[in-house]
Order: sequence, then structure tokens, then C-alpha cells
Amino acid sequence: MNALSVALLVPIAALFIYALIKKVNVYKAFAAGAADALPQLINVLPYLAAMLTAIEALRSSGVLSYLIGFLRPAALRVGLDPELLPILLLRPFSGSATLAILKDTLTNVGADSAAGRAASVVVGSTETVFYTVALYFGSVGVTKTRQAIPAALISGAVGVIVGLLLT
Amino acid sequence: MILAGLVGFAINGDGPGALEALTNGCGGAITLTLSIAGPYLFWSGLMRIAEEAGLVKKLAKLMERPLSRLMPDAEDAAAPVTLNLAANFFGLGSAATPFGLEAMRRLDRGDGRASDSMAMFIALNSSAVELLPTAVIAVRSACGSSAPYDIAVPTFLASIAAAVSAVVSCRLLGRLFK
Repeated sequence: MNALSVALLVPIAALFIYALIKKVNVYKAFAAGAADALPQLINVLPYLAAMLTAIEALRSSGVLSYLIGFLRPAALRVGLDPELLPILLLRPFSGSATLAILKDTLTNVGADSAAGRAASVVVGSTETVFYTVALYFGSVGVTKTRQAIPAALISGAVGVIVGLLLT
Repeated sequence: MILAGLVGFAINGDGPGALEALTNGCGGAITLTLSIAGPYLFWSGLMRIAEEAGLVKKLAKLMERPLSRLMPDAEDAAAPVTLNLAANFFGLGSAATPFGLEAMRRLDRGDGRASDSMAMFIALNSSAVELLPTAVIAVRSACGSSAPYDIAVPTFLASIAAAVSAVVSCRLLGRLFK
């Protein structure tokens, strides 16, 4: 959305002008904020490494495609197009992988087919739950995540079900 | 997950492939962190400017009341939480992440345990309420859809349903997890 990113420039410019009026040392403040961000980035890295390694192991070992084959009959029974399985399985873990798979799926089944529309809605209305959890909790070193993952998964499941019902 | 993958590699007899996949995963984390790093430093810098200009306090005051119903102990984090949800809503993922990390930093009490507010924030974040699912629309038109925007309304409704269930399930489950 190009118009949107242009629209974003206005508040950024306004912020600088306002800060200058308020006599904020813009340069110093910016550097201080960026300095604060650095350690958190380093905190995040190991958690992402663990998660991405696990996903990669599942994918390139063929376990994922085995799992999809295994779930196929169950999907057919509940009336779910098996073409949606790869998306449903990978969606919680990786955004870029999901978009790549969405592209494959839409090419296979047609973007305007029922399955293609369903796949699009599922991707659009859900998030990369495990990625978000690894990133946000990893950044502050929280390991007892309590109800966050179950609640996020329930919310994702509701998103998928409502999305499928609407298409 | 790693174990399941290793078993899969063993069955296929693909030892070198296994090692490559595992190290690739770690390499991916570096690339990913680097791709977050730029926007994160930039938005953190801007956020500090806004803070010193007194804007963050104003936004926090404005949002404290509506937000305190969802996240009772989020006073300090009200501004980044709001900015994170707003950035997500407008599809600015790269701007949303920095605010999200900042929000987590302010919610954190350093005990390695997720508070109810943190869990609520994560759950809300995973419902993906977005005005226009631009990435999906882009993929659809790249795949030759004649109506790439067709899915916008059902997508929006589905993510609203997801957000509502996130709030409800987070509340209900909060009592089960000590």
C-alpha cells in the first residue's frame, strides 16, 4: 500500500517538528532510544534460532509432508479441502513460509476458487503465533508463558473456523 | 519438533541434509534478526523522541482507561501497546514489532513469568486484526485473481472473531495457569 506508507511520513515529520518546538535534543533522544533497543535484539536471537531450527528440521526431513498425508483422510471427513493443510500446519510458525505456500496453493487450485478464497482468508485472519511468542517473550526472557499460547491458539482456531464458514 | 525431524532424516538416510537443515535454521534466525534490527532501531529512536516531547505520556493517558479493562497492569506500557495494535491494524508489520517489543519490556517484571497483561497482549497480537490484508491481496493478484480484494471482508470478520475469542479465552484460562 503505497498511499499508506506516504501517509505515514506525515506523522513522522510532525513528530520531529513538535519535538523541535518542545526543544528536545532530537539526535540524542534518537540515539538513546536505539541504544535501548539493541540488547533486546540480542535477547531475541537465540529463541528465534531454536524455533527456526525446529521448523527447518520438520520441513526438510519430510516429516511435515508425512504429517499432511496422514491428516488428509481426516480433513476430507470434516469437509476441509486437503489443499489447505500445509497452510494450516505452517501458519502458526512462519509468515514468509505461509505466504510462499499460499502462492503455491493459489496457483494449484486457482485464486478465485472456493479453496483459494478459503486459503486467503485463513492466512489473512491468523498470525504466526509461535513466532510472536518466541519473539516477544524471548525479548524479555519470559519462559513461563502461562495461558498465552493456549489462548492465542484458540483465537487462531476461531479465526480459521469463522473464516472457513464465511467463504 | 527437532527430534521428530531427526527421526525423519534417519528414516530417509539423509545425514548431510539433516545437518544442513539444522544449521540453516540458525542462519535464518540471524537473517531474521537483522531484518528486524533496522526498523526496530529506527522506531525505538522515534519513540524516544516522542517520549521526551511528552507525546507518549499524552497517548498513554488517553488509552489508559479503555486499555486497563483488558490489561490491568499496563499503565507504563499503554503507549507502545496502542501503537503496536494501531500499526498492526494498518498493516505496518515492520513498525508493529518494535512497539510490541517495547511494550513487552515495559510489562516485564523480571521474574521470567508472563503476567495476565502480557498474555492478553500476545493473544490480541495473534488475532491479526488488520484493515486490509495487503500481503494476501498481493499474493492473490500475483496468482491471477480477478478479484483479489474479495477476501477482505470475510478476513476482517474472521479476525474480529479471533480477537474476541482471544480476550475471552485469555481471561478464562488465566485462572488455570498459576
